[in-house]
Amino acid sequence: MRRTIVVVALLMTAGGARGAAAQPRATPPARRAAASPSSDASAGRQIFDAQCAWCHGNEGDGGTGPNLHGRLRHATTLASIVDIVTSGIPGTDMPSFRSPLTERSIRQTAAYVQSLSRASARPSRGNVEHGTALYEQNGCASCHVIDGRGGILGPELTAIGSRRGAAHLREAIVKPAASHPPGYLVVRAAPASGPEVRGIRVNEDVFWIHIRDASGAVHTLQKSDLKSLDREIDASLMPSYASRLNDPDLDDLVAYLSTLRGTR
Amino acid sequence: MIERRHAAALAFVALGAASLLAQDGQWPMYSGSYDSHRFSPLTQITAANVARLRPVWAYQPPGTGSIESTPIVAGGVMYVTSGPTMVAALDLRSGKPLWEWTRPIAASVLNLGFPRVNRGVAIRDGTIYVGTLDGYLVALDAKAGIERWSVHVGENPTGHAITAAPLVVDDKVIVGISGGEAGIRGFLDAYDAKSGKPLWRFWTVPSPGEPGSESWPGDSWVHGGGATWLTGSYDPALRLLYWGTGNPGPDWNGDTRKGDNLYTASLVAIDVDTGKPRWHFQFTPHDVHDWDANQIPLLVDAEIGGRPRALVVTANRNGFFYALDRRTGAFVYGTPYAKQTWAKGLDDKGRPIEIPGMEPSDKGTLVYPSLQGSTNWASPSYSPATGMVYVPVREMGSVYFKTPTEYRPGTYYTGGSEKRLDEESWGAVRAIDAKTGKKAWDFALPSPSWAGVMSTAGGLVFSGSNEGNFYALDAASGRPLWQFQTGGAIRSGPMSFLVGDKQHVAVAGGHALFVFALSE
Repeated sequence: MRRTIVVVALLMTAGGARGAAAQPRATPPARRAAASPSSDASAGRQIFDAQCAWCHGNEGDGGTGPNLHGRLRHATTLASIVDIVTSGIPGTDMPSFRSPLTERSIRQTAAYVQSLSRASARPSRGNVEHGTALYEQNGCASCHVIDGRGGILGPELTAIGSRRGAAHLREAIVKPAASHPPGYLVVRAAPASGPEVRGIRVNEDVFWIHIRDASGAVHTLQKSDLKSLDREIDASLMPSYASRLNDPDLDDLVAYLSTLRGTR
Repeated sequence: MIERRHAAALAFVALGAASLLAQDGQWPMYSGSYDSHRFSPLTQITAANVARLRPVWAYQPPGTGSIESTPIVAGGVMYVTSGPTMVAALDLRSGKPLWEWTRPIAASVLNLGFPRVNRGVAIRDGTIYVGTLDGYLVALDAKAGIERWSVHVGENPTGHAITAAPLVVDDKVIVGISGGEAGIRGFLDAYDAKSGKPLWRFWTVPSPGEPGSESWPGDSWVHGGGATWLTGSYDPALRLLYWGTGNPGPDWNGDTRKGDNLYTASLVAIDVDTGKPRWHFQFTPHDVHDWDANQIPLLVDAEIGGRPRALVVTANRNGFFYALDRRTGAFVYGTPYAKQTWAKGLDDKGRPIEIPGMEPSDKGTLVYPSLQGSTNWASPSYSPATGMVYVPVREMGSVYFKTPTEYRPGTYYTGGSEKRLDEESWGAVRAIDAKTGKKAWDFALPSPSWAGVMSTAGGLVFSGSNEGNFYALDAASGRPLWQFQTGGAIRSGPMSFLVGDKQHVAVAGGHALFVFALSE
């Protein structure tokens, strides 16, 4: 079964904040030469493969975390990359690695990340203009907001290109159930009387659950009134577009989504 | 029938030598009593009337952050703490502070491996005792909140800190230390309650030549961990303290410390007069998953195999529930109480039969339970009325990683990390028969619990959830009877006390303390 895994680098005896959702990689990273490898960067690559590739993808190509090729959003110097690896980025899924990594390991990891950022961003395979048209034609905006416009059923995409890598975006379109972000768990509730409710779990405590169905309506249900309540960990309300878009179309749509950097 | 059983239970408790219960409606220490049962003898609030429980006041201390404290009530006043190090004395009727004492804690004060919290105080003879995040034990005048004395317990620049409530025994204040992720060498200290003069120190990691030192190669013992970061229990008849110890250091990379690493991840029985260990029991030899054994042990008298036994029972972070003879430390029984994938079972001495390949690794190793364990610091409860132990359970696995590490003072000395399996995790209040370790019932929670548990002679079990619910269950069946949404995660222990002749219940949720009583 596929699992969503949460990175926690700083939590030992007493728990703490949640980290980034990540897709475990079943295959080991391919070995391509990093740009401008220094000895630090070579050592940092091994650490990156074990600690960072879960989110940032093999070779920093992006996954549930940002693509690290080209200009970095939060860092411009080696020192600032060291700061981010050490302390994380508050308000994002990037955790602190102060606990698992020594200062030396952090410096090496940062050197590798800097070498990735100095390599030119890999050219997009797709046509952004056609991708924009596909986004409109396929009704994506009925569920997703970009720059304040669109439906609310799915996650906002205004800055999705700065947060997710191309491979992850492509998978999210083809196999949405394998890529849904935290906060979009699908649940199915069967009340003792009345129709079944299936949708996104908006909130849940021990006694109550709030579910947003496909029409956008929120149902407030008391658990004691339910015959059953199932968490569909492997489900998504988003349909797969695998049969609706061919490979070049997918490239184009991913190319468009990758341009969404939240810069408005 | 039920009430008669409760009356019998009260008599049992009142006569038990290990019990020092709040018969007068107080809650005089962190765990309620020396046996750490967190069992309130008060009977006004019952399954029949708990639906009428309503909030009567709330208190929000200065500062921010979760309250992780269990208040005490003594002499008609409540004393509660908040992070980083703050104590308030509260009027029981109005909830208004009689005094608030805040220790200045600079941002540079280290808390390596735990939040900037304080979990409670001890009281004796008009003095409140509190440990501080920067590593001191402070005595405050209980009437005015003015400092009488303080004593330096551990160096904060090397990661020592105090978050646990001290324990008072006779004229001694016993206090543990945090810092197991910073490569400290753990200890438990006793100080004179009047003057703060040091009386004894028990090192949880022996030095060369001492018994147990053979379990540490080279100088690995120097940063061997074994923190004592939670309050222990005490048997007045045996004059023995029962204190859990934390992980060895470094946490997840055991390469430099081949061996059992005594007395980490253990329960140690310590002579309260001398500080000398009487016996120890190690739950997880050579721990590499950060499975501290600091969970508060419960001193339980029960008949097993037709024999009355003086037991100490504990649900360990490693997924097993243990009963030991509390006079000798002999293993009585042990059984898994939550999902675990690292051991085939326990041998006849209680030592785990480990499954090979479950250690943290470069590429990650999936193991249940997670680093936070099948239970953690949130207190369990034991009800003499039902004979059950109520455990806040965390059902969660993790992928464990090993990384290289080196000791540098005042930095993490852990050698790894985890990736938690979050979506598939859940929690429970789990009722376990103290005589057998077998599960009686589960009350399921949406996420792994950080809330302590209290049981009562009124036949109830109180606990909370990360989602803010404070609730009462039927102690016999686990059926929910009442709940209140506090609006913040509950990471504290419930307790109960009398105001006049009326039973009250208190718990902290988020940054507020809530007090409840039956509506008329």
